[in-house]
Amino acid sequence: MALTAVPAAFLARRVGPGRAAAVGLAVFAGAGLACGLSDHLSTLIVARCVQALGGAVAVTAALELLPATVGSERRAAVVWASAGATGAALGPALGGLLTELVSWQSIFLVQVPVALAAAVPILAVAKHEMATGVIEPELRRTGRPHLWANVALAMVSAAIAAALFLLVLLLIEGWRLSPIGAAIVVTVMPLAALLGSRLGGLVPSAKARAAAGAILVSGGLGGLALLPSAEVALTVPPQVLVGLGLSLVLSALTETALGGRAPQAIHGGWTISARHAGVCLGLLVLTPIFTHEIENQRTDAINAGTAVILDSPVQPLLKLSLAKKVSERLDEETGKVPTIGPAFEPLPDDPTERAETEQLRSELQDQLDRGATHAFASSFALAALIGLLALIPIGLSRRVDL
Amino acid sequence: MNRSQILVGGAVVAALALVGVYLAAGGSSYTPEKTQNPCKHRAWSNPQNLGQIANQFTISALDGAACKLGVSRETLARALATKQSRERFAKRYGIDDEKLAEAIRAGLVRAVDDAEEAGALPSIVAGPLRGFVEDVPLDQAIEIVKGAKSFLGEAESFLGPAGDLLEQFLP
Repeated sequence: MALTAVPAAFLARRVGPGRAAAVGLAVFAGAGLACGLSDHLSTLIVARCVQALGGAVAVTAALELLPATVGSERRAAVVWASAGATGAALGPALGGLLTELVSWQSIFLVQVPVALAAAVPILAVAKHEMATGVIEPELRRTGRPHLWANVALAMVSAAIAAALFLLVLLLIEGWRLSPIGAAIVVTVMPLAALLGSRLGGLVPSAKARAAAGAILVSGGLGGLALLPSAEVALTVPPQVLVGLGLSLVLSALTETALGGRAPQAIHGGWTISARHAGVCLGLLVLTPIFTHEIENQRTDAINAGTAVILDSPVQPLLKLSLAKKVSERLDEETGKVPTIGPAFEPLPDDPTERAETEQLRSELQDQLDRGATHAFASSFALAALIGLLALIPIGLSRRVDL
Repeated sequence: MNRSQILVGGAVVAALALVGVYLAAGGSSYTPEKTQNPCKHRAWSNPQNLGQIANQFTISALDGAACKLGVSRETLARALATKQSRERFAKRYGIDDEKLAEAIRAGLVRAVDDAEEAGALPSIVAGPLRGFVEDVPLDQAIEIVKGAKSFLGEAESFLGPAGDLLEQFLP
């Protein structure tokens, strides 16, 4: 998407937005079907690449089609930017729900009828373009992209990627929530994003909205980096801040990048490219940190858990039997945060030993929860810093506008 | 204040408040507890019966062996759990059976010393026990760590005549 958005926008300009959008949606739908039916990772990746190309053409062409529907280019930019921000917030929650309720394939298959349905009304525009068939040459000339707005978009998107992807990973892999459980938890973000878009409508200054949004995203990520315990409820306030912030900052920066620039599709392509490049860079930088940390924290948590067992009052034979079972669980679940419960099964029959064993299980699990939560802290903190640093290009963007 | 200033100011306040509250609630220290240095002496806490003595004997033995090997007590405890875990441990840390046996014997001696110091074992019993564990083979040494209670309780099988004295003196 990052690589194809701008060329796709040029293509949309060349063949006409109606035709481009219709073809883009058809390609997107076809590739989505291929993704859903793929039974191998390589075919899934290829189909996803094709889907990105179709999506890029459709989304950039849509920006050219919107003014006719909403009345003005400025209004079109606002609607288009808000749709992008809402989609970014909604994606992980919807994906989690579909994965758990149906299957991972359903994430792609459900896109097919939606894309085809969206293509139907565009066909009339495409037909008209085919009848007239001419694109005015002056419209093909493009100005330079808004550098600072796009740089800020990339940085903020990198930070938001941490909130969207790493939080889901923390919930599922770290705290052992089911995908549907995690999806329900992260719906806080799109709900807050909807509120943020209302809030943004009250403030005309795009720069103020962008700055406030970046600060809120960073604050939310800072909260995620400092979670005081492994409780789902504690992720809600940070998610509210991230949701509000992402809605404000993504739409404000996209509007800034598009403001007064023509053709809109090309500059819209630059914003999509910047956002997706930011997500890729964010994941490229944050994932190694997180995977390195999870291994370190796993070791620390297991040592802390073993210390809990060793220091407990249960008899040495039971202790070492537990240490053995815990060791076996760790072997079974190499490379991730282990679920330790089965190591304590069956519980002893003696009521005193049973209570002691249950207490041990709880304390050991607490150490693992601490390790899993802390493993994500550095990545969230770095993402918060990236979000704050985005204030620099946001501050510079006004000078360029002037 | 105009709307822009209110929005930015509100964002700053909300972000700082969240970070401040989470910091105050212990967010920066929510990490796995640090394990203790095995070379540091761990005081015995007034054991009242054979089970409690056995517990602390095991801990002291693991501490002593781990200290000698330069690993944590917890790593060693998991290593001794199964034959496979012991082999993995040996490979990872480059510790052969001889070195492991030497370390566990040293750990057992430390456990006897600690028990004697804590008043859990009388000197007359501690002496022969120490002499016994100094020469015990590896597999038996591991079994003593694992089954300290039976080792201490059935010491007569290892100690001969001293076993009677042990039974007499154990709390």
